[in-house]
Amino acid sequence: MNKIISLIKTDFNTTFGLSAIAYSFKAKKNRWQIILFSLAMLSILPSYILIIKSLNGMYDIYSQIGQKSMFLLSGFLGSQIMIFVFGLLYVMSKYYFSNDLTHLVPLPIKPSHIIGAKFGTLMLSEYLTSLPIILPFIIIYGVKGGEGPIYWLYSILLVAFLPVIPLVLASIVIMIFMKYTNIGARKDLIRIISAVLFIVVMVYVQLKIQTIAQKALMEGDNFLINLITDSNLLVKKLGIGFPPSMWGALSLSNNSNVIGIINLTSFIGVAIISFLIMIFLSEKLFFDGLIGNIEVSASKGKNRKKLSLSDSVRQTKPYLALAKKEVTMLFKTPIYLMNAVGGVIILPLIFAMSNISGGDQSMDQLIKLLGINQGIIALVGIGFIVALGMLNSIGSTTFSREGKCFWIQRTLPIKVEDQIIGRVLSSLAVQVLGVIALLVSLTFIVKLEITTMMLITLLGLLGSIPMTQLGMIIDILRPLLDWDNPQKAMKQNLNVLIGMGIGTIYAGALVLLVMKILDKVDINLIYGILTLVFVISSIVLFSVLKKLIIKQFEVLE
Amino acid sequence: MLKIENISKSYSKGAIKAVDNISLDIKPGEIFGFLGPNGAGKTTTIKMIVGLLKPDSGKITVGTVDAWENPLEAKSMISYVPDNPEIYDRLKGIEYLNFIADMYGIPKDKREEKMNYFIELFNIKDAIGDIIASYSHGMKQKLVLTSALLNNPKLFILDEPLVGLDPKSAFNLKEIMRNMCNEGKTVFFSTHVLEVAEKLCDRIAIINKGKIIAMGTMEELRAHAEERESLENIFLELTE
Repeated sequence: MNKIISLIKTDFNTTFGLSAIAYSFKAKKNRWQIILFSLAMLSILPSYILIIKSLNGMYDIYSQIGQKSMFLLSGFLGSQIMIFVFGLLYVMSKYYFSNDLTHLVPLPIKPSHIIGAKFGTLMLSEYLTSLPIILPFIIIYGVKGGEGPIYWLYSILLVAFLPVIPLVLASIVIMIFMKYTNIGARKDLIRIISAVLFIVVMVYVQLKIQTIAQKALMEGDNFLINLITDSNLLVKKLGIGFPPSMWGALSLSNNSNVIGIINLTSFIGVAIISFLIMIFLSEKLFFDGLIGNIEVSASKGKNRKKLSLSDSVRQTKPYLALAKKEVTMLFKTPIYLMNAVGGVIILPLIFAMSNISGGDQSMDQLIKLLGINQGIIALVGIGFIVALGMLNSIGSTTFSREGKCFWIQRTLPIKVEDQIIGRVLSSLAVQVLGVIALLVSLTFIVKLEITTMMLITLLGLLGSIPMTQLGMIIDILRPLLDWDNPQKAMKQNLNVLIGMGIGTIYAGALVLLVMKILDKVDINLIYGILTLVFVISSIVLFSVLKKLIIKQFEVLE
Repeated sequence: MLKIENISKSYSKGAIKAVDNISLDIKPGEIFGFLGPNGAGKTTTIKMIVGLLKPDSGKITVGTVDAWENPLEAKSMISYVPDNPEIYDRLKGIEYLNFIADMYGIPKDKREEKMNYFIELFNIKDAIGDIIASYSHGMKQKLVLTSALLNNPKLFILDEPLVGLDPKSAFNLKEIMRNMCNEGKTVFFSTHVLEVAEKLCDRIAIINKGKIIAMGTMEELRAHAEERESLENIFLELTE
């Protein structure tokens, strides 16, 4: 037992950098960092408040049709699905790609101890994902419904156990996945392809289930009568896809009677049992996927080609060489590939697939709206690509990703202009994939004219430049260099969040501007204005970035 | 070639003085050994020369260039090999070498000639098509050495270069250092291995607690110490 406690303590400490935080507090960090961070947080706040407001409206609607419990189900389902999806990525990197494994595996501890400790830390991270989603639901329901103390007591228990089941599922899926893909020299490639396939299939199946469930629900003869007599009908019908969410919703909505306690017991009981099953399975699965996973195979034997130097040696311009190195690293590091590259491809795909499978009805209206005017399609497309320019997090992690190799950049005679251009180019290279994915997806939904495609491509890429530069400014001000797992440089990097906040302000202002003048002026003038804004902000940000990089390259330690 | 004037560096707002008012003047064609116990300030000094740590005060001149006023010019004369070869492990060896050569702007035929020579010498020719993550610690170090030698640096700075190298490569590296000096280049390195310093260096400085406590040729150092036999004795006596 002592071993597990010690493992958990060490893992907490290294994951959340408690000692490092305490240390940096003593060293007293610069004030603008806190200001920047609060600014980013503030910029996210309005949209969060907006979401909570609309949740309020959603409660009223469910309340009117006598299906209040459905409101709770949405909360439970939403947060548990998010935990599962994020869990897949977290579990993968935490269980299989973190550097502490090379120290842990040789120690005389059981696989289940390692998994148990890592699961504990992940639970804590997942609260950061789940609390902002589930709390508004529980609070709105509790306050508006005037619920009593038992409701709140149940809520605390449910929220505490909420991440367990989805995280257990993610752990088991990943452990099986890693065990059976731990083969051959090309396992990185095999894994990436299967992961992308898995995500695509999952999204498709999910949307399909929703469509079927919705149809089945509406088709029943006595649907309306049943709806009136059974206030938990919707929950029971729709929650069947993921029962734990249903138990959570039912236990809260029935907190005054025995159904509540039964559902609460199921929720917690199944969470504990599933955790134990995972621990049991980890003994059988974990090391099989792990051992030999860390090693990277060198090409050996007869497959090894004699490398001819004169063919592989070539001179490249410094900024191009830097861009090439960045792109290679992005594509060859699984975590970066999934987040940065995968992101820009998958987002447009989800956009398209939800349409093909007929899951989302609001899409029809959107298409009609889009179908009317190629100009609006172009504007929406440009906005989408510009937003991806920040969402791909390439700019906001460009220096952080250097990590312990940052010394290379700082000791080489690289011109600061080359630094900026090279890194922006690497982001644009990935953005091109996003543009392609978006254009292909759009052609499934609506007829695209050549000029529209050109506009989306050119203005989208142009607009991605200031976005990337904004990210780079944040990242050079506070690069996260001390990491042992690439996951930290990208997924657990606050710079990404700050970048999205500031990017939202910048893009939001542009969207507002465009909407204000959309009816009043010629659309070509809008393209002109956008071009002007993008070019000017690129130039201004370039010179800001130049000064900052020179200064930060000197003072960073 | 390398002139350090009164540089100091402290951490935690001056509470810990890592380097305390150090001055050195190293001439072209000299191999200079930088000795000292763990935590004496060797790596801090080296990091200030190569541009990784800004000195609190003092001046560093490379050739005729102020290293902190015109960093780009200074850096194009320097090659640096850190004590720990942390490099981009997702690149192939050859990709890394090409990248470094691009940053120094080395033309194709020249880099090819240098690469050929050094990868042969360090016996990593068969590995440069593989990704760096598959290399052993020593192989990574040899790759870093190769990359540092591509631009034919006027000032070669190495932090603990011999730790982790196999005997043959260590021998080769020492030869390379010697040859560079014969060509009028300057080598500055830190080490724990007193024997190497004794045999290889033209001059030696011993640093302890951030201050230089002795500097000179082996003979000069011997003259200062009471036990005059080996550098080991001098070192132990001085750093006590």
